Order: sequence, then C-alpha cells, then structure tokens
Amino acid sequence: MNNKHVLKPGTYYLQGAQACLEGAIAAGCRVYGGYPITPASEIMEHAAQRIPQVGGRFIQMEDEIASACVLLGASWAGKKAMTATSSPGFSLMQEAISYGIMSETPLVIVDVQRPGPGQGYVTTSQEDVMQARWGHHGEGSTISLAPASVQEMYEFTIEAFNLSEQWRTPVLIMTEETVAHMRERLVVPPIEEIQIIPRKKPQDLGIPPEDYLPWGHDIVAPMANWGEGYNVNHIGLVHLEDGNITQYDLEMHDRCVKRLQAKIEGNVDKIAKVETRYIETCKHLVICYGSVSRTAIEAVMEARESRGLDIGFLRLKTLWPFPEDKLREIIESVDTIFVPEMNLGMMKHPITEALRDRCKKVVSIPSLGSLHTPEYILSKIHEEIR
Amino acid sequence: MKKHPMLKYLKETGPQGDRLPLIMCPGCGSGQVLNAILHAVDRLIEEDGIRKENFVFITGVGCSARLTSHYLNFDSGWTIHGRTLAIATGALLANPDLRIIVITGDGDTGAIGGNHFIHACRRNLDLTIVCLNNGLYGMTGGQVAPTTIPGVATTTTPYGNTEEEFDLCRLAEASGATFTARWTTAHPHQTMRTVMKGVRKKGAAFIEVLSQCPVHKKASPTDMLKALKKNTKRIKSGETAPGDKIPIGEFCNIDKPEWIQSYQRVIDQFAETD
Amino acid sequence: MNKLHINPKYCKGCLICVEMCPKKALEPSEKMNAKGYILPRDKDMSLCNGCKMCEVMCPDFAIAIETEED
Repeated sequence: MNNKHVLKPGTYYLQGAQACLEGAIAAGCRVYGGYPITPASEIMEHAAQRIPQVGGRFIQMEDEIASACVLLGASWAGKKAMTATSSPGFSLMQEAISYGIMSETPLVIVDVQRPGPGQGYVTTSQEDVMQARWGHHGEGSTISLAPASVQEMYEFTIEAFNLSEQWRTPVLIMTEETVAHMRERLVVPPIEEIQIIPRKKPQDLGIPPEDYLPWGHDIVAPMANWGEGYNVNHIGLVHLEDGNITQYDLEMHDRCVKRLQAKIEGNVDKIAKVETRYIETCKHLVICYGSVSRTAIEAVMEARESRGLDIGFLRLKTLWPFPEDKLREIIESVDTIFVPEMNLGMMKHPITEALRDRCKKVVSIPSLGSLHTPEYILSKIHEEIR
Repeated sequence: MKKHPMLKYLKETGPQGDRLPLIMCPGCGSGQVLNAILHAVDRLIEEDGIRKENFVFITGVGCSARLTSHYLNFDSGWTIHGRTLAIATGALLANPDLRIIVITGDGDTGAIGGNHFIHACRRNLDLTIVCLNNGLYGMTGGQVAPTTIPGVATTTTPYGNTEEEFDLCRLAEASGATFTARWTTAHPHQTMRTVMKGVRKKGAAFIEVLSQCPVHKKASPTDMLKALKKNTKRIKSGETAPGDKIPIGEFCNIDKPEWIQSYQRVIDQFAETD
Repeated sequence: MNKLHINPKYCKGCLICVEMCPKKALEPSEKMNAKGYILPRDKDMSLCNGCKMCEVMCPDFAIAIETEED
C-alpha cells in the first residue's frame, strides 16, 4: 500500500492489524514506537510503512518497555502516539501504564492477546482482560475496549484515541490474535462523519501560563504540551493541583488518587458501551466480548431458531470501566447467564458481581488457545438447560 | 537582598506552597550540576537565541532526578527509573525542535536504564545527557551501583564490592554517541561550557559529572570536592591519564548522521508535491 | 567593594562557598538558620574580585555577589 493519505472513504479488504493502524492514522496518530512480538508484529510493520507516508515518525525500539515510554514522551510533546504488543509485552508495559495514569497522559496501547502464562502459545486468547484493569501497580483505572471485527479495529482505535484525549488517560485496545489476523471488509466513511476529539488545552480556555494548574481547573485538567511556554512539570508522585509534591499530607494523597479514580469510574455512563440483541424478555443470556461474540451470536441465533430457547445476547464493547449500572439497567431477571471466554473465566467475575441478584446462575464457558465454535457454545448451553 | 541569578529559572513557590529549598542533602553535588546546567542554558538563550520554551528537562528516578520534580521553571518530566532516554526519544520524535536535556544518575543510566542508554547513543539522537555519577544509589540509602569501584563497602556490599565498574563515557562512545565528556562538581565552569557544547552538538552528547554524596560517604562536601579535584586529571582526546587518576575532559567529538535527520529522508519521499 | 548576599532560607551550611573561594573572602559565621545550618558570612570582602565562583558552586542557589556593575 503506497498511500500518502489517511485512508480515503471507500471499501477495503484488510487484515485487522492493518485496519487498527489505519484507524490510528485517521485519529491523528503520528508517532509509533514498537517492538516485534507474535501475533502483534503486523500492526508495527504496517506502521513502519504508513506512518512516514503521512508525515509521522516510526521507530522500532529496543524492547516493549521503551516502546510504551516513547508514548509518554511523544504525548507530552503534543503528538498522539500508539504501540501494539502481545501478552508478554503487555506485562512489561504495566509500569509505563501506571505512570500514564498518575501523570494523566493520553496514549493508546493495543494488546493482541495470546495464551499464557509465560510464553504460552502464539494463538488467540482473552487471558489479559483482568490485567487490563488490575495489571498496573496502584489504584487508578484504565479504559479498555474489545473490538470484534476488522471494522471495529478501525473504529475502536479512533474511539480509543478520542477517549484517551478526552479523559487524559491511557486506553487499552484488548484485541486477540483472531481479530488481528483475520481479513474482512472495512468500510471507511466520509471524513466528516469521523469524529476526532482533540486534547483540551489551557490556551483554548484562555488560561495563561501564570494561572495554569497542571492538574486543576476541572476533573479532567486541560493539558499544555511541552514547548508552549507553560513550564509543565510532569510527575508520577501524588501531587497537588499546582504540581507541588513537597507539601505532602494524607488529605492531598487521598484527594489526588480519588480524583484519578473518579475521573474514569465516575463517568462509566459516558465511556462504556454495550451491544444487545434479543434482550427484552429473554429467559437466559449470553454475555461475551471480542471475537468470541462472533461465534456466540451464531450459537444464540441457532438456539432461538432451531431449539426454541429464549436466550438473549449482550456484548461488552468496553471491558473497563465495567458498565455495571448499564447491565443492571438492561437486565431485570434472567435464569442463567453464560459467559464464553477464551480464558478460564475472567470477566465472569465482574459480571457475577453486577448481576448476582438478577439471575439464578452464572456459567463460564472457557476455551484456551482457540475460538469457541458455535456448536461448542451451544453444547455447553444445553448441558445447563435441558 | 540580591537573589542568585539562576533563581529566575526555578519555581521558588507556587499557588499551593513553597517549593524551595531543594530537597537535596547539604553539600550534595546534584544542586551544583543543576547550577552549571542552568548557567549553560542561560548563555545558550542569550548567545544562540534558543527560545526558553524549547528547553525540556527529563529525569528518571533518584537524587539526580529530583532536580526536575517541581523546581524547574521549564517544561520537564520526572519520569520512570531508567526509562528517561526512551521517553526522551518519544518527545524528540514528536517535536524535534525541543532541546532536550536528560539529567540522569549512574544507576538510572548504567543499571536499569542500560539498554535504553546504549540504544539512544547508537541512534545518535539529538539529546544532551548529563549523568550525575556519585558511585552509588543515593536516594534509596547508599547501595552499590555499576559505577562503584571494587572493594568499596556499601549497604549491599557490606564486605566490599566484588565487581568491576563501568566507564560510562567509554560505554557511550562504544555505543555510538558522538560527543562524550567527563567533569566533576569541582569543575563548574568546564561543566557549563561542555553542556553548552553538548546542546549545540547535533547528536547524542553524553556528559558524565562525578558528583559527591556526603551523606552516604560520611565525608564533608568540601573534603569530597577537594578529593574530586585531586583524583582527576584533565586529558585530551587520545591521551591516557596516569593509573591512579580518573581522566576528565572532552573525549570524543565526531560527526555522524543524527536520527531525526536520517529519518527525515524517509518522510520526504512521501511529501506532497502537488 | 562587592557585597555578599546569603539567603538564610535556602542555605544548608555546606560551606562549599567558603572553601572554594579562590580569594578566601568568606568564613563560617556563628549564625544558624531556622534549620540549624551554619551560614557563611563575609570575612573580608575587599578580597572578593567578583569571580562569582561561589554562585556557580552553590548547590542551593542561596548566595549572590553584588558587584559594582550589577
């Protein structure tokens, strides 16, 4: 592909990895720092080709830690930046993610999940979904999205950049090898239909450098870039709104960290998205995310049409912050909730916590190292429901 | 009362309280190196017309790193231990007009940051790296560092260090840095002039500054400064110092393509021509 | 004659200025600041030639020399 532009409106046949990178470019990403790892290398290779074509800078760093750190520096210097890795590399990036949360730095990291622990294998998995929320040390939340198709790799990556700039936070795209490697149709809409949310800056709000509070003014502080004369001191310690770290006391510490938490967890309704089908009066429910939802919907449709089961479908498009209230709003009462996942049962925990009193049972349908087939999901449903 | 001339570059106070005095121990070399660097930056702004807004200071973690924590009246980042150079790489790629001064320590550069250090030098990124070398880990209580000489007792070598130390300047040069130098806190004017050269140098400039830690060495700062002067010998490039003296001076100064310049050729292939 | 200014709030009594002054124009005083650090004072400012070595050496930006040109 030798295209000097952002991908023009039209229909394309692309790999998920390529679609993800094209979404990043459409969102304005112009710095990419990466490191090879199976099954994520295709995203980086596509970036190596495309980022300079659109005037950005690409660099292959010496390891995943360095790749994540490139994003911090690039973001502070005013550019949208992204990297992609797989599960072992994702572990290496946790310190940088933690720092990104405290320093409120917009950045996007794609985790093309593969099985673990350790080297695991190089096929598909959803085993990092808890790590996305709890893997970084300390408190504070990230935003994690779960695309399920090549189209969504494009759209969710744009959304990830928007969320990261809007909420001044690292955003994780928790995809899987299945989605990154599949080839499907991508439809790029007209440019005017693509919403890009820029970073809110003190200049836009008429705040001069002498009045600027780097972590103040609003629950999401306006962000000045390096080089604009705002003398921004980025730090990772707990801090006051003006950036002072000397005046430590427990009240300041409490306020600082709780604000970070509230910024994300207090705005779940604005951030988290779900998709539902056959939900209005369903007796049972399948809750899923990522590529598993592609085969789960087939199982649900088959169960409804051929077996007469009143079973609904709910897909988490956002994994974190977990849309507990939204789920409780949608689901009044069901018998059994099935949670097919490519792990031994991870998202089933917040799902159970949210809907324990709205259902009789939550049943995990695990699969390690490969995508569930619709028949497999259906067989597990029938084991429960005679 | 007349104020120190470099206080114009520090945030003495802020909306939520005072920031100075610096948190450093009495007689610590870090403040002295910051002093020399600020003098250098002051001269560069005046002589070269570099905009103050373009200077960015990035540090990692440790005593050296505290200098940027919230004191500097410049854009800065007090970042992750050892990852300073990776972060600086990202900033440079995003905005090559930034004049980035990385202030780091011997542990930050030579231990946890070792990988990023050699690659930043190899890439010849346009950065000025000032490494404060006090031969130990100060902030955490005086543990051994990759720059501690054999035999020295520290909190983690209570029976004496059994390892050899790095020569960080040689490591930088072997990795590809195009400008290397070493001074001490007893040589502030030389440090200042060399920092100016480093910023002016288009490429990776590595400037090591031997610095005293009076608290962990249990010695007076002035005695340590006198020892730094006594135990070092200024050499020219290509010379060797007598066996018992540490060589100081400017060692390597060569010209090689700088990363941003090289990569620009890739971008330019695709620049719009219509 | 040049004038010495010491900021008692920033000085940490390291006495580097006293020791490194090439003209030996400074000495430790008997005065302590609020933190118990011994502040330097001018011994004989007629010796001071305005080299400002003390300013460049001070780790805490606590000293300033006022010369006639300033």
